[in-house]
Amino acid sequence: MKSINPIGPFKSRLRTALSLAVVAAALVPLAPATAAEDKGETTSKTEKPAEQRGAADTSKAKPKAAPKKLTGAELYSMHCNRCHPERYPTERTAAQWKTILLHMRVRANLPAEQSRTILKYLQDNSGR
Amino acid sequence: MKTRSFASGCAAVCCALAVALPGRTAAAIDDQQFNELKEMINKLGQKVEKQDQRIEQLEKTHAQDSQVHEQDQKTHEQDQQRIQELEKKLGETQRTVSDVQEKATMGVPAEPLPRMPLDEATVNHNFSILGDAEVQYAKTSGQHGTFLFADFAPIFLYRGGEKVLFEAGFDFILQNNAPASSGRTTTVNLSFAQLNYLMNDYVTLSAGNLLLPLGTYSERTAGWLNKIPDDPLPRALLPGSGVGAELRGAVPLGEMGKMLNYSVWGVNGPSSADGTGNAGALDLGGNVGLRLDNAVANLHGNPSGGARVGLFMPFKPHYDVELGLSGQSGEWDDAGQHTWSAAVADASLHLGSSFEVKGEYMRSWYGSDDGGVVHPEGWWVQAGYKLAGLNLDWPFINNVELVNRYDTVHDGLGLKTRRYTVGYIYYISNTLLFEGDYEFLHSNDPGEKDRLVFQLSYGF
Repeated sequence: MKSINPIGPFKSRLRTALSLAVVAAALVPLAPATAAEDKGETTSKTEKPAEQRGAADTSKAKPKAAPKKLTGAELYSMHCNRCHPERYPTERTAAQWKTILLHMRVRANLPAEQSRTILKYLQDNSGR
Repeated sequence: MKTRSFASGCAAVCCALAVALPGRTAAAIDDQQFNELKEMINKLGQKVEKQDQRIEQLEKTHAQDSQVHEQDQKTHEQDQQRIQELEKKLGETQRTVSDVQEKATMGVPAEPLPRMPLDEATVNHNFSILGDAEVQYAKTSGQHGTFLFADFAPIFLYRGGEKVLFEAGFDFILQNNAPASSGRTTTVNLSFAQLNYLMNDYVTLSAGNLLLPLGTYSERTAGWLNKIPDDPLPRALLPGSGVGAELRGAVPLGEMGKMLNYSVWGVNGPSSADGTGNAGALDLGGNVGLRLDNAVANLHGNPSGGARVGLFMPFKPHYDVELGLSGQSGEWDDAGQHTWSAAVADASLHLGSSFEVKGEYMRSWYGSDDGGVVHPEGWWVQAGYKLAGLNLDWPFINNVELVNRYDTVHDGLGLKTRRYTVGYIYYISNTLLFEGDYEFLHSNDPGEKDRLVFQLSYGF
């Protein structure tokens, strides 16, 4: 049995440097973005009580707001971008989108209701 | 009029009395009578004055009434003019309508036109073509650089109504013929061909040559969808497709996009390339049910069964995690003495629209006549970052994505290979990609060497 060729020191350093560069490029911009989002969420969380300071007691008794149902555009962005760059809705006709969404529902195991919501979004904005 | 006559009458009486009564008569009237007469005349004067005032008021009222009457007359005349204009226009419209009706009557055929079919019902709109095409240039260390191949991989879709979809994917590849022989060869592979029937919102039945969801690579990443031109090395340990039937679907968990997806399948499974149970004869891609001699038979006694379950958890659009576990097991040698089994764990993570990481770990094991139980194993992890996430207003930068991947495989028979790939994708458009990668290869196979690859990919 042949053994694996040892890695040359130069290649090792080059590889390590490239890896670090890519990882750094990926993580550095993420950090402020995440921080900004966190800050935004924190701000909104602190602003709300400030606005409702007068009604602090009554707000406690209020039931938690129901989560917003995702729109077709959001579901499209969420599911389709996982595997490939998003296609513009205008690239296909309404009937073509119907066939393609059936294909994607099977291929990507999309829930039927979400698939229908995405289809409606694409057809509403389709090329024809 | 009566008042005026009365006043005139009184004045006439007074005058008559003054004229008719002679001086001697006046002399005969005493002072008292004179005073009474005088008082009576004064009263009559006052009465006449009042009547005059009343007459003036009545005349004013009459003048106002006359003005109102004149305005009413004007309004009436204007209304009359307008009515005449409208009647004129109505007449013109009626003439136009009658002309159109006359022309339409002359142009209409005797039989009514047949109804135009809806888009939904036309064949052309039910039929779609997707797919991709690639051209590669590669330079392997120690060899000449070359345009490696041209690949055309269309996917044909035909939707039969609301619940039926037939889909087939092909791969046309142009290659040189074997050394010392002229010409070239165009190979055509049927990557998959399956008929899907949507039984309900949660179950779809698929049958045919299925892309197997052992992990997610075969179904969702292969071809131009992959960010690196080459497949991960350990994918060679798994069959990409199999002939059989499958049930699959997804169950939403809440309204925020979270879902559980599943696949359960039965396929012919792997087979032996030479009919023996020797470890090197394992053939993951064969056993399609129809032999070259046209005999219809599974190459061994029993099919293989497999399943995958995946959990997709989005936090918000572009931020999500998917975790999946899958496996398959079944006989592989003609004698049915040995089984081939595989387990795969897959994961993908998206943090924003710019950053993604995905990977798979796979391990298989199979019995053999000559080597006992063989344990192939491998894994790969791949990351990509779109520089658009940096929000730099530089030309070209926003169209670049940096990618890298580490993959390793051990075939269980002594061959070990590790590879590290760094590269980029330049998005000429959302479907036209220019990719460049350098692969650092380390293997105990001397044929495996570092490689530079450029690829132009187009997805349609």
